[in-house]
Amino acid sequence: MRYEAKRCGVQFSPPSIVLIYQDEETQTLRKRIIPVRNFSKYSDCSLAAEKLKNNSRHRDYLEGVTQSQLEKLHIVLRDHMQGFSLEHSLSSFHVDPEEDLNKLDDEDLARKKGQMEKLFEKNRKRKDDPNFVYDLEVDFSKNTQEKCSWDEESDDGF
Amino acid sequence: MAADVGDISEMNQKKYDAEEHVKIICLGDSAVGKSKLMERFLLDEYRPQQLSTYALTLYKHTASVGNKTVTVDFWDTAGQERFQSMHPSYYHKAHACIMVFDVQRKITYKNLATWYKELREYRPEIPCCVVANKIDADMKVTQRSFNFGKKQGLPFYFVSAADGTNVVKMFREMIKRAVDYKQNPSDFMDEVMQELENIDLENKEDNSDAEEDGLKAESPEVL
Ligand SMILES: Nc1nc2c(ncn2[C@@H]2O[C@H](COP(=O)(O)OP(=O)(O)OP(=O)(O)O)[C@@H](O)[C@H]2O)c(=O)[nH]1
Ligand SMILES: [Mg+2]
Repeated sequence: MRYEAKRCGVQFSPPSIVLIYQDEETQTLRKRIIPVRNFSKYSDCSLAAEKLKNNSRHRDYLEGVTQSQLEKLHIVLRDHMQGFSLEHSLSSFHVDPEEDLNKLDDEDLARKKGQMEKLFEKNRKRKDDPNFVYDLEVDFSKNTQEKCSWDEESDDGF
Repeated sequence: MAADVGDISEMNQKKYDAEEHVKIICLGDSAVGKSKLMERFLLDEYRPQQLSTYALTLYKHTASVGNKTVTVDFWDTAGQERFQSMHPSYYHKAHACIMVFDVQRKITYKNLATWYKELREYRPEIPCCVVANKIDADMKVTQRSFNFGKKQGLPFYFVSAADGTNVVKMFREMIKRAVDYKQNPSDFMDEVMQELENIDLENKEDNSDAEEDGLKAESPEVL
């Protein structure tokens, strides 16, 4: 990879995605501002993210940035266009372990899943990885000792 | 809503009466990773059939169990509450159930009780298991014991759809149990009872004709 993405963020006006990356050749940190075009408060963020990810001018720089991360940045931009605060956008991504996600609508659920996707992608073993094992088995039966605190207050007979 | 249930049943659930055809459902809260688990097991073996209006993705899979080839239909359902009215069709004629929770979100574990209770109202006897997903996020959870389902003797699996741990093992064992369940003649009574219960239920809820027609057409075979 010639460019290693370090951080990314947004700039509201003009609406842009900002990428801090390291140029591997020169070993310098650089900033790239990618204006977001043809994007309105009605746009589909997941589509916009996909387009940007495949954009021939930017794709080398964005290699280390996942599509769901780009989608998230687009959501922040769109939220801003719709008049929502940055705090609102950020808290909508936060996954509260106590929150019942069954009650969310599609869009809000997508925000939470987008957040979860980061770890998923990080830990993911792909089919084309050289050491991929389809039928990976690990026996945990020996190390289950501790009682789970999640069971403690349950008296529901399960 | 009633119309929805009717439409979904038009996907001819009668095929599940054939001996070599089983139906396995995957249940659990939103975002616990049901779809990711299915994808990990099947890789890209088949393109699934998306029925987004029914919050349902159908995956077809061919497995060998013993010396038999069986067709497995996986019903990957959505956890969102607004699809509650679809649940009866999910359970209808299912031969096994995979119940998933997210080890990072306690509420999804707590909600298993509700999912399980509902499952047993429709399918009192089918094999079922409890799956703790996303262990890659925190391997320490595998040192804890989760007691939900212990009393009922439900098998328990620690899995990760991300790194693949125990996913294939879990699915293979559940396919085997679904086939065993179907072949076990002692469950004949249960099948009959289930059909009756379903008819009763559909009348109560005043659901569409399609589903009832399906059931009537089947009853000679069942009885
Ligand atoms: N770290 C990690 N994340 C996972 C794993 N499995 C799923 N996820 C994440 O959890 C999110 C939800 O997964 P889905 O498979 O969409 O969940 P679901 O249960 O099908 O959800 P609904 O269909 O909405 O009921 C995804 O965005 C993944 O990023 C896993 O094994 N490990
Ligand atoms: Mg799903």
